[in-house]
Amino acid sequence: MRGRPLLHTSYEADQALLNTTAKRVMLGVFFLIVISIPFQIIPGLKFLGEDDWLRLLSTTAVFAIGALGLNILTGLAGQVSLGHSFFMGIGAYTAVWLGGAVGGPLIGLGLPIWVWLPAAGIVAALIGVAVGPTAVRVRGLYLAIVTLGLVFIGEYFFRNWNSLTGGSQVGRDFPRLQVRLWKEEVPIFDFTTPANWFGVEVSGVAKTFLLLAVFALVFTLLAKNLQRTRVGRAFMAIRDRDIAAEIMGVNEFAHKLLAFGISSFYAGIAGALLASFVTRVIPERWDLFLSVQFIAIILIGGAGTVTGAVLGSAFVVLLPRIVQNFTLWLQSVATEGDGILSSIANVFVATTPEDFGLVNTFAGVGPGLSVAQLNLVLYGLLIIGFLIFEPLGLYGIWLRIRNYWKGWPFTY
Amino acid sequence: MRRKSKWLALLLVLGLVLAACGDGGAETTTTAGEEPTTTAGGGEEPTTTAGEEPMEIATDVGVDLEAGTITIGLLSDLSGPFAPLVSVINTGHEIYWADVNANGGINDLQVNLEVRDTGYVVDTHVQLYEELKSQVVAFGHSTGSPQTVAINPSLQADGILAIPLTWYSGWSDPAINANLVPHGTPYCIEAMNLIEYLTLQAPDATTIAIASSPGDYGEDSNAGAVLAAEALGLEVVYDGTARINPADEATLAEVASGIAGSGAELVWVTTSPTAFGSVYGQTLAAGFQALWSGAGPTWNPALVGPDSPIKDALARDFYVSAYYAPWAADSVGNQFVRDLVAEYAPDAPPLDYYAEGVIEAKIMHQALLAAYDAGDMTQAGVLAAAKSLESVTFDGLAPDETYVGEPNDRVQRAVFISRPDPEGLAGGTSTGVSQVESNYTSPLAAGFEFNETCFQLG
Amino acid sequence: MTHGLVVLAQATVENNEFAQTLVDGVSFGAIYALLAMGFVIIFKATSVINFAHGALTGLGAFLVAAFATVLDFPGRYVTFLPEWAQWTLNVLTALVAAALIGVILERVFLRPMVGEALFAAAIVTLGLDIVVRTITNDWIGTNPRPLGAPWGLEVVDLGWVRIAWSEIVQIIVTVVLLAGIALFFRSRTGVAMRATAFDQETARAQGINVGRIFSVAWAIGALLAGVAGIFFSVFPRRATGVDPATAFIAFRAFPAVIIGGLDSIPGAVVGGFAIGIAEAAANSYLGFEFLGSGFPGIVGYLLMLVVLLIRPYGLFGTAEIRRV
Repeated sequence: MRGRPLLHTSYEADQALLNTTAKRVMLGVFFLIVISIPFQIIPGLKFLGEDDWLRLLSTTAVFAIGALGLNILTGLAGQVSLGHSFFMGIGAYTAVWLGGAVGGPLIGLGLPIWVWLPAAGIVAALIGVAVGPTAVRVRGLYLAIVTLGLVFIGEYFFRNWNSLTGGSQVGRDFPRLQVRLWKEEVPIFDFTTPANWFGVEVSGVAKTFLLLAVFALVFTLLAKNLQRTRVGRAFMAIRDRDIAAEIMGVNEFAHKLLAFGISSFYAGIAGALLASFVTRVIPERWDLFLSVQFIAIILIGGAGTVTGAVLGSAFVVLLPRIVQNFTLWLQSVATEGDGILSSIANVFVATTPEDFGLVNTFAGVGPGLSVAQLNLVLYGLLIIGFLIFEPLGLYGIWLRIRNYWKGWPFTY
Repeated sequence: MRRKSKWLALLLVLGLVLAACGDGGAETTTTAGEEPTTTAGGGEEPTTTAGEEPMEIATDVGVDLEAGTITIGLLSDLSGPFAPLVSVINTGHEIYWADVNANGGINDLQVNLEVRDTGYVVDTHVQLYEELKSQVVAFGHSTGSPQTVAINPSLQADGILAIPLTWYSGWSDPAINANLVPHGTPYCIEAMNLIEYLTLQAPDATTIAIASSPGDYGEDSNAGAVLAAEALGLEVVYDGTARINPADEATLAEVASGIAGSGAELVWVTTSPTAFGSVYGQTLAAGFQALWSGAGPTWNPALVGPDSPIKDALARDFYVSAYYAPWAADSVGNQFVRDLVAEYAPDAPPLDYYAEGVIEAKIMHQALLAAYDAGDMTQAGVLAAAKSLESVTFDGLAPDETYVGEPNDRVQRAVFISRPDPEGLAGGTSTGVSQVESNYTSPLAAGFEFNETCFQLG
Repeated sequence: MTHGLVVLAQATVENNEFAQTLVDGVSFGAIYALLAMGFVIIFKATSVINFAHGALTGLGAFLVAAFATVLDFPGRYVTFLPEWAQWTLNVLTALVAAALIGVILERVFLRPMVGEALFAAAIVTLGLDIVVRTITNDWIGTNPRPLGAPWGLEVVDLGWVRIAWSEIVQIIVTVVLLAGIALFFRSRTGVAMRATAFDQETARAQGINVGRIFSVAWAIGALLAGVAGIFFSVFPRRATGVDPATAFIAFRAFPAVIIGGLDSIPGAVVGGFAIGIAEAAANSYLGFEFLGSGFPGIVGYLLMLVVLLIRPYGLFGTAEIRRV
């Protein structure tokens, strides 16, 4: 019925993934916008179509896949895990073992992408299930520290397994996003080189972005679907009251293992895609900071929600670039403009080594924070800020906005 | 609580809007004075300006003849393990170009720098390269070897020049260096020089311990040390190749106990300054003493600062190696650096590393001038100009460079050797080193046949 | 038992390497014990896992470097005292400053999280770690900062074992602090803290100012972290002083906390020494080629996993009572 979107008249309608017209329309519009970005059609968003922004958006898509995995483990099943970067590393190194260049000093079998990409996810999932029993034995914050140990132990292995990873600080090249039938020279479809589609010039980065965006969409729908399945409901029961769930017939052990397995699958795929996309990765890449980034993503986005994982990824990945642009803009205001705005900007920005300011914008080092440090400080403050003020994250903010307009003008 | 998050939401939206404003198609290059230059995403726009210049100059990215600017990119490590060196090197760039700009620029074109902090992380480096490649005409430096190797294929595909800020011997290998102009003595030849010099200081020594960080930096230097030990008849009693991980305390203790237990008389170590300090200190605690030296970036004058507990021991044991003359050296080139600092960075402390920035900037200067003369200041034009430079001189600051000819003939072999000088540093009379050899090439290094890189990166 | 100790003593005196390993292990273990103790005190009092402990370590060490070398405060006012006394005074002032900052951090960032999920509070400390570490790194600058310790390079050579003066001081200070903490828990505030750790609600009902207890816990935690940071940043561990890497030592102390049990202070001390000795032993005896480099660094975590498999709440931790 129009005007009553939440009135469902059948079980299917109630359980549908997109159960209101608004959701369907929004998803459709969002998808169209994302697809159109590389073609720079929409005014105001044209700058996003440039190569460096497309690279950032591609990274967002990959991080979203990883975040969805962590969301299933931590947000849905309630298992705190700091070990996400370890499983991403496993996925990446499985991919390079199977898909890497043959014949050189490093291990590689040269297999095509339809072998190494799923294998990356599956092997990571298997290792996730293998780690499971140890993780299930401990609870709560002990689990967080055990998964922390996983990251350090994993880093040790990656750093020392030179023939696979290329060695500490050196790294190796990863198989590219190219589709082949088996091991032929020229790929059937190459996502990394520019092409001409119906007269429109499309760069390699644009093609990669479209591919990764589609992957992200598929995984998002899969994750959203998980929530309404039996397994998903079992996860939520374990998160809320695991003993009660066990009494009700939910096999706690099996489901916790499954949660680790599924989230590691997502992590493995994300790790393989990230390494392939960046083309060269050192073993130190899969460190604690990466794990913390994912925790931050799901918390800032909104723990337990699929939308939150995607929003959070966009936020965390795009934040450094936004801060950089903002600082450059402040710098130009401080130096070129005059008036109050310029003086305020001058307080924040130091344009020369002698100038005082919170942030340095010149080439050397000075009293203030560098842009990279400002990024980190803002990142940390945002994590803290969201947890203190808006525990539901960006999704929570969206809920407030939506509810405000739902009841408007009767907002009391 | 509700009010607070509304403001939060507003702030976020504001931030996004500002970001869009700050980046809506127009890229503003640094500092005041000129209009923002608009650059399209890597497209070709040859601008011929009849009437303004006596000849037509082709440009594409990074050179704007109307606005009168040239943009050079710097991919620097300003927050990672070599930040102390690179931040000073960047100041060297700044003061050199400030001087050039004040004296008319490059035929009235002002040079601006776009600096990005890679933190010595490979994927950040790649990302920032992608960001800058459509804004700059060339890269004034690219910090780190795995990082530079990672962007090398893109450099070749995009036809852009970069000066590597590393002394990996691969940069002198024609199979790798189509878009790179190296400078200074490669790590492995440096190791040969210093180790032979150490044997001259301790003629009775027969044993050597070698340790390094993993990667091109440590292992290239390592390869040279092993070659030198073989040629000079030294027994390698401890081999800590690729064992030092500056981020992992346990490896430092491991290497230190290995070196101390080996009883070596000479030690060659290649790593970051803090890792070196820790390893050295722990061997001292175990009662070990020998002659030490290491690759250039292993040294940091802070090691012999007034409060450093190891300063006197270092003054006794260590030999500092560098690719250019130290601050206080007596040459035209050094005086030039000192004058630049006095005029454009008067409050900056005396340090050796400005020279490196000046050297890099000077090479780029020559390349830009040559490109201008050839009428082609596109990215490809600047690259071609750089690769055809026959002679770049530094007036005694560093050995002269040439980029034409056989690799074996033009690879640098000379180093500058100094001893640590804690008293001079404390008294303000030196930058912590006192030079003992200038432009020194040992017989072993002079005779070495350089045909390919000493250490193959994976 | 006594026979075992006698055998141990004999082995120590006769076998140089064994003795040296033991000494190294104990002295490094002292640093871990201090870190673990500070961590557990904060956890017991506030039930929050403090991921910012590393940042506090780096901050404490930096403050000592600043007060001792750059500011020379209040040393410059008491020049009639010998050098080492001036330095000690500077260090104490710096530690007081570190404790104060700990209190401020707790008040501003963690007080609003009281009553919220513990996982959320732990992640707040993770964010805090990033902020404090970055700002400390900015203050440290690009060069490492030496602490100006008065004992310099001095090493005591007893023939069968070598021990640096800094290690001797370290062990003495650790023992003094352990005694001090034990005494503290008998004082009024200490008893109040034990009550708060046992049951926050009831303690509040009894009239204990729980907020003040939280602040005291963080002050003590920051102080202990600072002391650990000092001993980590002097000869022979890092002769160059405090630098951005100093903060990461705290992550090696987490296994100590888990082995001992998250809510047991004696357990933390035992765990700290256990990890220290395990790492020293791995350094001396497990230098096999196939293990590559950095194995001693993960020995702690491996030991932790083994202990958790046998006792999921650590050696001395109290098992959680799970109710439906």
